[in-house]
Amino acid sequence: MSQAVNNIYGSTVKTPARPLRMSIRSASGGPASGDATFEFESGTNNVTRRQFLSRSGYGIGALALSNLILSEAARGNDNVPSVMGPHFLPRAKRMICLFQSGAPSQLDLFDHKPLLNTHHGSDLPESVRQGQRLTSMSAGQARWPLAGSHFKFRQHGESGAWLSELLPYTAAIADRLCFVKSLQTDAINHDPAITLLQTGTQLSGRPSVGAWLSYGLGSTVQNLPTFVVMTTRGQGGQPVYSRLWGSGFLPASHQGVRFRSGRDPVLFLNNPDGVTAESRRNQLDHLRRLHELNEGTFGDSAIKARIQQYEMAYRMQTSVPEVTELTDETETTFEMYGPQSRQPGSYAANCILARRLVERGVRCVQLFHRGWDQHGDLPKQIRGQCEETDQPSAALVRDLHARGLLDDTLVIWGGEFGRTSYSQGKLTANAYGRDHHPRCFSVWMAGGGIQPGITYGETDEFGYNVVRDPVHVHDLQATMLHLFGIDHERLTFKHQGRRFRLTDVYGNVVRSILG
Amino acid sequence: MRSIDFNPSSRTLTAPGVWCLLAALVYGTEKPDFNRDVRPILANHCLRCHGPDHRQRKTELRFDAPASLFDDRGGYRVINRKQPENSELLVRINSRDDDLRMPPRDSPSQPTSEEIDILRRWIVSGANWTAHWAFVPPQRPIVPVVRPVSEVENEIDSFIVSKLRQKDLHPSTQANRSTLIRRVTLALTGLPPTPDDVDAFLQDESPDAYERLVDRLLSSRAYGEHMAIGWLDAARYADSAGYQADWERFMWPWRDWVIQAFNDNMPFDQFTIEQLAGDMLPDATMSQQLATGFNRNHRINDEGGSLDAEFEVEYVVDRVDTTATVWLGLTAGCARCHDHKYDPLSQREFYQLYAYFNNVPEKGIDGRKGAARPFINVPNQHTERQLNELNAELDKLKSDGTDHTTRIRQIEEQSKLLRKNVTTPVMVMQEQAPREPAYLLKRGAYDHPDKSEVIPPALPKVFQSLTDATPGDRLQLAHWIVSPQNPLTARVIINRLWQHHFGSGLVKTSEDFGTRGEPASHPNLLDWLATEFVRTGWDIKAMHRRIVTSSTFRQVSTQTPAQRQRDPGNRLLSRGPRLRLTGAAIRDQAMAISGLMTPVIGGPPVKPYQPEGLWKELSFGTGKTTIDFYVQDHGQNLYRRSVYTFWKRTVAPPRMAVFDGGSRAMCRVRSESTNTPLQALTLQNDVTFVEASRHLAERMLKAGASNSSKGLELGWRLAMTRRPSPDELNVLELALNRNIRIFRANPEQADQLLSNGESQVNHELDPPVHAAWTIVALSILNLDETITRE
Repeated sequence: MSQAVNNIYGSTVKTPARPLRMSIRSASGGPASGDATFEFESGTNNVTRRQFLSRSGYGIGALALSNLILSEAARGNDNVPSVMGPHFLPRAKRMICLFQSGAPSQLDLFDHKPLLNTHHGSDLPESVRQGQRLTSMSAGQARWPLAGSHFKFRQHGESGAWLSELLPYTAAIADRLCFVKSLQTDAINHDPAITLLQTGTQLSGRPSVGAWLSYGLGSTVQNLPTFVVMTTRGQGGQPVYSRLWGSGFLPASHQGVRFRSGRDPVLFLNNPDGVTAESRRNQLDHLRRLHELNEGTFGDSAIKARIQQYEMAYRMQTSVPEVTELTDETETTFEMYGPQSRQPGSYAANCILARRLVERGVRCVQLFHRGWDQHGDLPKQIRGQCEETDQPSAALVRDLHARGLLDDTLVIWGGEFGRTSYSQGKLTANAYGRDHHPRCFSVWMAGGGIQPGITYGETDEFGYNVVRDPVHVHDLQATMLHLFGIDHERLTFKHQGRRFRLTDVYGNVVRSILG
Repeated sequence: MRSIDFNPSSRTLTAPGVWCLLAALVYGTEKPDFNRDVRPILANHCLRCHGPDHRQRKTELRFDAPASLFDDRGGYRVINRKQPENSELLVRINSRDDDLRMPPRDSPSQPTSEEIDILRRWIVSGANWTAHWAFVPPQRPIVPVVRPVSEVENEIDSFIVSKLRQKDLHPSTQANRSTLIRRVTLALTGLPPTPDDVDAFLQDESPDAYERLVDRLLSSRAYGEHMAIGWLDAARYADSAGYQADWERFMWPWRDWVIQAFNDNMPFDQFTIEQLAGDMLPDATMSQQLATGFNRNHRINDEGGSLDAEFEVEYVVDRVDTTATVWLGLTAGCARCHDHKYDPLSQREFYQLYAYFNNVPEKGIDGRKGAARPFINVPNQHTERQLNELNAELDKLKSDGTDHTTRIRQIEEQSKLLRKNVTTPVMVMQEQAPREPAYLLKRGAYDHPDKSEVIPPALPKVFQSLTDATPGDRLQLAHWIVSPQNPLTARVIINRLWQHHFGSGLVKTSEDFGTRGEPASHPNLLDWLATEFVRTGWDIKAMHRRIVTSSTFRQVSTQTPAQRQRDPGNRLLSRGPRLRLTGAAIRDQAMAISGLMTPVIGGPPVKPYQPEGLWKELSFGTGKTTIDFYVQDHGQNLYRRSVYTFWKRTVAPPRMAVFDGGSRAMCRVRSESTNTPLQALTLQNDVTFVEASRHLAERMLKAGASNSSKGLELGWRLAMTRRPSPDELNVLELALNRNIRIFRANPEQADQLLSNGESQVNHELDPPVHAAWTIVALSILNLDETITRE
C-alpha cells in the first residue's frame, strides 16, 4: 500500500503508508477536534497522517517534513516520531525569546523595593533568608548588607507598571507587556539554571524548547530552518553551549540552527570559492540525475528524500541571505531599533533579523545576549547592558505590533535567575554587586495570547522571596506550550523506556496571564 | 463496537460472549506471548500507578507481580483464569463508566482496541505469567533446522530464515562481491576498500575468499579505531569538561587504550574488568589503571559558586547510569529520585549501586588544570616520539656543516616545550580509606541524604536470587557483570554488535532491556549469540566474524515492494542492511579515497578545519581558558581520522553535529539517522570535502589522462567500489565537459576552486581541467550511495 503525497515541490511522491497509532479519542465528551497524543508508534491505523495534518491546519511544511521522516522510517528508523498539530486552538504561532544570559538584576530594572534604599547597608535579616542556600561566592561573607538600587523607579502607562530609569524604551510600551515578578528556579548557578530554562531540567542532554516545538508542530516555512538561534557578536560573558538549542534525544533535525553574522550565516551555506550559483545549479542537476538512476536500483525512498534535501539546501542559499541582509529595511526601522542596528551581529540587528524570520514563518527564534552577570560594579555594567538592549527589545515589540504579527507571536524577555538584594562584596558609595538568586526574578512577555498591561506575582519587601503567585520555570514552559495549543503533559517522546516531556513531571499553566 | 454495556452493581457483562466473538472476528486468534505481547501493554498503561514505585502506587494492586492479580479479592479476581470474562481487568478496561474505567480517562496513556484484545486473548488462553525475559539467564536454544541448506551459512541464518518462513518471506539473494567488500570493509574498519583490494577479492576464486577478507580486515589497525568510536559515544568521552567554561582535559591516552584493546582483541570480560575496576586489581599496572578512565569521562564542573557536595553526587550518579546502560541495558537513573516505575529497581537499590562508585577521592568542583583528582601521570609516548624525531633532525642539521641557526633555535624551543609534557595527567578511578558512606538521597537531592542508614554496596534483589554472593566492592561488581550469573551483559553487548552491523539491534531499544524496552525480534538468536559469546571466551572479533560471514549480512540491500510492505523496517532481515554512514565515516572515507588521510594511530586530539569563531563566539572569549579559541592545526593533522578530532562538549564538532553525532554529554548507545539540508550544505561546501575532491580529481585525472571515462570510472570505484553504468557514465561525461567549458571561459574561478584547502596544488595539471574534475569528484562524494553502506 502506498500513499500519494503532494510535496512542497509540487510533484507527487509515493511513500509507504505506515500504520500510525495516534490514539484519537472519539469517545463522547472528548474534544471534537482530534484529541491526539503527539507520539507515533506503529500499530492500528485509526487515522492517516494526511487526514490528521489537513485537519490540523499544519499542512504544507509539516507534510514536507513528514515525507522525510517516512523515508527515514523506511530505512528502519520507525521510532522517529513526527509532526502533528496542536491539541487545541493555538494563540501563538511563533516565538521570539530574548534571552538575557547571565541573569539581569530584577531589583535594578523591574522589582521596585524602596525598603532596600531605606535600609541600605543594614544586614539582610535572617528571618528573610531562612537559611536558604547561597552560592559559594558570597556564602562566606561576614555580612550580607542590603543594597538599594542606584536607579530611580517610577510607574508607567495606564497599567502603572514599575520600571527603572534604565529602561525608558521598555517603559514606553509597558501597556503592551506582561511583567511576571515571581519567577522561581531550582538552580543557583549559571549552567544548571540556563539548562533548566531552555530544556526543562538541570541535567544536560534533553531537548530544548525550540526542538520540542519543532517536534510537536513541525515547520510552516519551506526554505528556512524551523528554529533559529543567534548570539550577540563580540559580547562576552558567561559561556553558552550548543546543547541549549540541541535536540537531545529527539532526532537531530529538530535542533536549532545557529545564524551567525558574517559570510556564512549558516555553517557551510556559501558555495566554495570558484563555484558560482550557476555552476552549482548545473552540478545539482547532474547530481539529481545520478540520484534518480540510483533510486531505480535500490528502491529506497531515502534517496528521493536526499534529492529533496539538496534542492532545499540550494533554495536556502538564496533564502537565508535574503533574510539576513537587512538592505531592504527602511531608515525608520533602523532608527526605531537604535544606533547599533546597522552593525551585523549586534543585539539590535539580531532583533530586526528575528522579526524578519518570524515574518517568513520561522517558528522559534532564540536570541542569546550575554554579559548580565554583575557580581560587582553592577551600576556601571548594567547601564551598558541596558543601553544595548532596551531600545531594540522595545522596538521589536512595536514593530511586530505595527505589522500585525504581535497577536500571534510570543515574545519573552528574561534571564536564568535573579540577583540578591544584598551586596556581594563590599558596598561602597558608588558600587555594589549582586550574587545569583533563584528565589525570585522578573521577566516580561508580550503578544501571542498573553494579557498585556499586567503585572503578575509579588515578592516581599526585601525582594528576596515570593509572597504571591509564584511561577516556577516549569510553569512558564507549560504556559508557553499552552499558547501554542499544546498540552505540556501530552507532548511526549519515548526514550529509555519512559515518556519524556519538556516540563518533566511538573508545570501548571499560569492562566491568569493569558489574554 | 469497541465498548460494552456494563452494570456496575452486578459486576457482570451483559454480552460478553457476543463481544468476544466479534473481537475474535476483527482481530487475531493467535495466543499472545506474555513477554512479547502482554507485558509491554501492562508496562505502558498500568505500571505508572500499579507498579514497583511504592510512592506512586494508588493501591496495593501491582501489575508487575502476579500474586495480587490472580488472588481472590473478595468475590472477584483481577484476572480470573477459570472465568476469563469475569476478570476485573477486562471489565474495567472496557467500562464506559468513567468512575470505573481503567486506565482513567485523564491518564496520559490509553490502550488501543488491539491492545485490549491482546489482553483478552491472553486471559482467555490461560493468562500465563513468566518473569521478564531479560532478568532470566539465557539458555542456549536449539538451532532451528532450515532447508534448503544453501540459504544457511551459519547458525545466525538458521534463526533468521526460520522466522522469515513463519512470516511467509524469503531471504534476498546474496550481494555481489563488489558490494560485499565495500559493506564489510566499511562495517569493520569505517573506511572503504581500495581498488586493489577490490580487484584482489574479485579475482580470488578460492571458496574462503570472503572469510580471508574478513580476517584481514579484523587484523587491520583501522578496525580498532572504528570500533572505538561507538565505545567513546557510550563512554561519553570528550576532550573538554563539559560545563560552563568547558576546560580542556587530557583523556586521550584512555582513548588510545580503547583502540589498542580492540585491536589486540582483548577478551570482553577483561576489557570490562579493567575499565570498571582495573585500579583494584592486584599490582595494577599502569595500563590497568589507565583503563579506569572510563568512569572519569563524565562531565566535571568548575563553575564559581557551585558546591562540591552537589557535583560529587552528579558524578557518581553518572557512573551508575552509564555503567548500567552500557553493560546491563538498564535505565537505572530513573531510580535516583524514586523507585523505578517499570523495572524491579527500587530507589534504595539504586543507592546500593551508587555505593560501588562513590568511594573515589574526588572533589565536586575541580578540573581547571585539565585533570580532576584522582589522576595518574601517564608517560606520553607521542611526546617521546616527537622528541626523538626532533633530536634526530638536530643531529643531522648540526653535522651537515651549513648554517641552520633559525631552525636549530626553533627545534630547541619546541623540545623545551615538549619536555614539559612528557607525561599526561589522566583521570582514573581510585578507592579511598576509610570508605565514603552512601546514603539514600531523598528525591535524589544532594542535600537530602537519609542519614539514618548507611547503604552498603549490593546488587538489586532481582539479581541477588541469581547470584551466590552479592559483590562487596567495585572489583567484585565488575567480576559479577561478566559472570554467567548475570543475565544481561552478554545479551546487551552482542545486541550492540548486531546494531553496529544492521543499524538496529535484535532488541531495538539497545539502551533499555527493561520491561518498557522493545522485546527482541529474534529472542532465540539473541540468546544463542549471547551464550556463544561467553562460550568462546568473550571473543569480540570472533563475534564480528560470525555476524559478517552470515548469509543474512551478505544479502542485497535493495528493496522490493513486497518487502517494503511486509518487512518495512527490515526488522525480519529479509534483505541486507542499507545504512547511512556516520559523520565520522563520511569524512574519513572522503580523506581515504582522495589519498589525503594521515594514517597515524593515537596521540593528542587534532584540530582539523572548522569555520572560524565557532568556539570564541560562545565561550568566555577572554582567553581565560585554553579552550576559548580554536587554533586550527596545519599539515598532516588536518587529515587524521575523525576519532582523533578534538571534541569540545559545549560546541560539538560541526561535522559530527550535522550528521547526528550527539553531544558526548552523557552515555549514548544508539543514534537515529536524519536527512537534512544542512548535511547537503556541509558535503558540498565544507573545505574538507572540497579539498578531498581536488585530490580525488587528481587521482581520476591521472587515470583518465588519455581517456576520460577511465578516470571517471576510477573515481566511481573509489567511492562506491562498483563500476558506473553506461547511463551514469554518460551523466558524468556530460558534467565533466560542461565544467571544462565553464572553467575554460572563467579560468580565475578554476584557480579559486583549486585554492580551497591548505594542501599543495598540483601545478602540473591544467587548472580548468583540474577544476572541472574537482567538481565531478565533489558530486561523487555527495551521492547518496557514497555516504551509504549498501
